[in-house]
Amino acid sequence: MKIVVCVKQVPGTTEARIDPETKRIVREGIAVATNPFDTYAVEEAVKIKEKVGGEVIALSMGPPRAEAVLREAISVGADRGVLLSDRAFGGSDTWATSYALAMAIRKLGNVDLVICGKQAIDGDTAQVGPGIAAQLGWVQATCVMEVSEVEAGAVDGANGGSAGGDGSAGRMVVRRMHEDGHDVCELPLPAVLTVVKDINQPRIPTLRGRLSAGKREIPVWGAADIGADTALVGLSGSPTRVVKTSPPPAREGARLVLDGTARESARALLHELRLRSLA
Amino acid sequence: MRTHIENRIYHVELVPPRQESEKLDADLELFATKFARVMESGYCACITDNAMGKLSFQGTEMIEELALVPGPDQVMIHLNTFHTKSDLDGILAACIRLGIRQLLVISGDGSDRLPRLAPADIGVSGVEAVTSVELLGYIAREFPGVFELGVAFNPYEPEEHEFGKLERKLAAGASFVITQPVIGRHPVVDALLSRYPELPVVVEAWMSKKIELLSEAVGYEIKLEAPYDPIGNLKTLHRNHPRCGVYLSILSFKTQYDLLGETWVTGT
Repeated sequence: MKIVVCVKQVPGTTEARIDPETKRIVREGIAVATNPFDTYAVEEAVKIKEKVGGEVIALSMGPPRAEAVLREAISVGADRGVLLSDRAFGGSDTWATSYALAMAIRKLGNVDLVICGKQAIDGDTAQVGPGIAAQLGWVQATCVMEVSEVEAGAVDGANGGSAGGDGSAGRMVVRRMHEDGHDVCELPLPAVLTVVKDINQPRIPTLRGRLSAGKREIPVWGAADIGADTALVGLSGSPTRVVKTSPPPAREGARLVLDGTARESARALLHELRLRSLA
Repeated sequence: MRTHIENRIYHVELVPPRQESEKLDADLELFATKFARVMESGYCACITDNAMGKLSFQGTEMIEELALVPGPDQVMIHLNTFHTKSDLDGILAACIRLGIRQLLVISGDGSDRLPRLAPADIGVSGVEAVTSVELLGYIAREFPGVFELGVAFNPYEPEEHEFGKLERKLAAGASFVITQPVIGRHPVVDALLSRYPELPVVVEAWMSKKIELLSEAVGYEIKLEAPYDPIGNLKTLHRNHPRCGVYLSILSFKTQYDLLGETWVTGT
């Protein structure tokens, strides 16, 4: 099975700010990290590969230094990484980004499954995963919390990927969460999933994995390499217009009311503290 | 541990590089250099486990991947509850491969990225979360006689509460204690030594001049009237606690390490 996992480099959670002129997130000169939701996507991709065989390719779009998130994915089990980096991509909104990623997935060829984190913690749109599915014309399941069955296509060689175009005879069964519970969905492959934190516990890179990943070649593809129409990427390909931004209201502290006797309340308080690793 | 104390072997804390390091090669080289110095000195290297919840490389993988050579009984591994069961198994197996016997078993500090052992993982029921007590019990039960297990003791916590915890830790298999950093003397450490005269106790010496960091580490504000002198405090600890070992945290290898050679000898 040939799996593409999309990863994004995002600002450190405490350092994100908006440029008041461009209304875009300032990304220069600040600490960065892999989008936390994407670590769950990588873990799930690697787990599926370990179960049914195949290949995991980490894919990212961003400036040259975004290759760090690809190396991180490789250090925990992705087989290789590809970085989309080109000035033409600058200013892309979620639709233009989805287009570029979809073009790269087409170029990779014979991909059975694309997995993304539910959303990136900088833009918080949750649109790129579904956007990729729309651009590719594939089925999708969002907010997946469990992959219970995976059947690769009939032809699934050591080099990964299934027979014929982007198609595959494979299928999978997933459980996706929503506000009122969860749905169990069967999807034909190829498909796009976005995953939530409940799906797994991402493994932590080993030193060996990290050192090995540091030596890997990361190919960088520009717009021309993936055959992208430059009118459909960057600012020109982005229909989104941010007309106003404002900081969210400050969060109020959480309040927990514990009922019962003093002993019961103390026990409940201790339980809550332990769950937060505070006791 | 008793042999370490009798032979005046310092326990030198070594912190592995963080996972997020952007200068990993340099950090690895520095760690290897420090490790080699501790081995050459005949001291014991005590390697932390994701200290303060910061994602770092494991001590055992540092030793194996960097081909470091631990001397006999010269390495102690910190081991906390923030691991998957398979990672825990891997760390314990690596310790056995490397001949590492001493483990400092602590509850540890978690973070979003760190998993936590579930009670069922280590065959425990009737508790909500795994603490150092359950982890100690598991290791003592599954690896009888293989490891020498130590635990932390915080004299800044309410005394009877801390002694109650210590009792549970000792019952679970702990055989030595390392205190939180002590400045000069602490009455609860004196009480510890009085209550457990046979128990090997190692007092921690805070080797940074930044005393405010110590307050953060122990969870209670520590105020001093005069600027803190780490080497002076180390000598005082030897003088006040002659039957204790000493654990050196935040030690400067550039400015302090070479002063250690004669410190314990004279204690003055």
